[in-house]
Amino acid sequence: MSSRRSRQSGSSRISDDQISDLVTKLQHLIPELRRRRSGKVSASTVLQETCSYIRNLHREVDDLSDRLSELLASTDDNSAEAAIIRSLLN
Amino acid sequence: MASADKPINTDVPEKDVFALHFLQSLSNLRRQNAFNSPDDTTNNRVKKIKKAAYVSMARAAGGTNRLWSRALLRRAAKENNKVVIFSRRKKRVTWLRRSNRRDPVDAERLRNLLPGGGAMETSKLMEETAHYIKCLSMQVKVMQCLVDGLSAK
Repeated sequence: MSSRRSRQSGSSRISDDQISDLVTKLQHLIPELRRRRSGKVSASTVLQETCSYIRNLHREVDDLSDRLSELLASTDDNSAEAAIIRSLLN
Repeated sequence: MASADKPINTDVPEKDVFALHFLQSLSNLRRQNAFNSPDDTTNNRVKKIKKAAYVSMARAAGGTNRLWSRALLRRAAKENNKVVIFSRRKKRVTWLRRSNRRDPVDAERLRNLLPGGGAMETSKLMEETAHYIKCLSMQVKVMQCLVDGLSAK
């Protein structure tokens, strides 16, 4: 293991601690896993839930793009601009 | 070289940075008359908006500073047949990819979901994923706000 490490180009050497730190970070980012406050979650579970979370987010972007397309096509210029600005100032 | 662990940063910009970039993309689309053109199908309109969402998200999140955003922008530019020139960075040792054979199936799935994931070392993959997830949620929030704002009459 350590011999493989020494062949890596300098800067990208990451320790096991940092890896488990990242797994923990991911765990906190995913709503599904935040709810299961049952302490230890396996790295494999974190990865699986990460994958489905990303897929869900992609689906949401798809869905919202659909709705935006409808909304932007049906509103006329003036009211659309005003509505956009209004919505983002909230 | 001593493996001094530098802290891994996965912070993302504020929501308004994402909002600003997305608005700019949308207004560009509007200027190209992408929303009212009669000979454009609904599908194309949706595709353009979706692309604008991902591209503006990649730009807001740091453009060429992240592997996933570089991959995303590169892919988008290729679709537009644009020539993209990235400033030369330290060469990534991509042969490591083959030595990642001990990767579980889950990491493979993750690689397929993350832009540019295929060429990343496993630890880098995790870091990039965390950043990507944060940015995606920001982008979704921005789009939701927009939809809510446009729907309320």
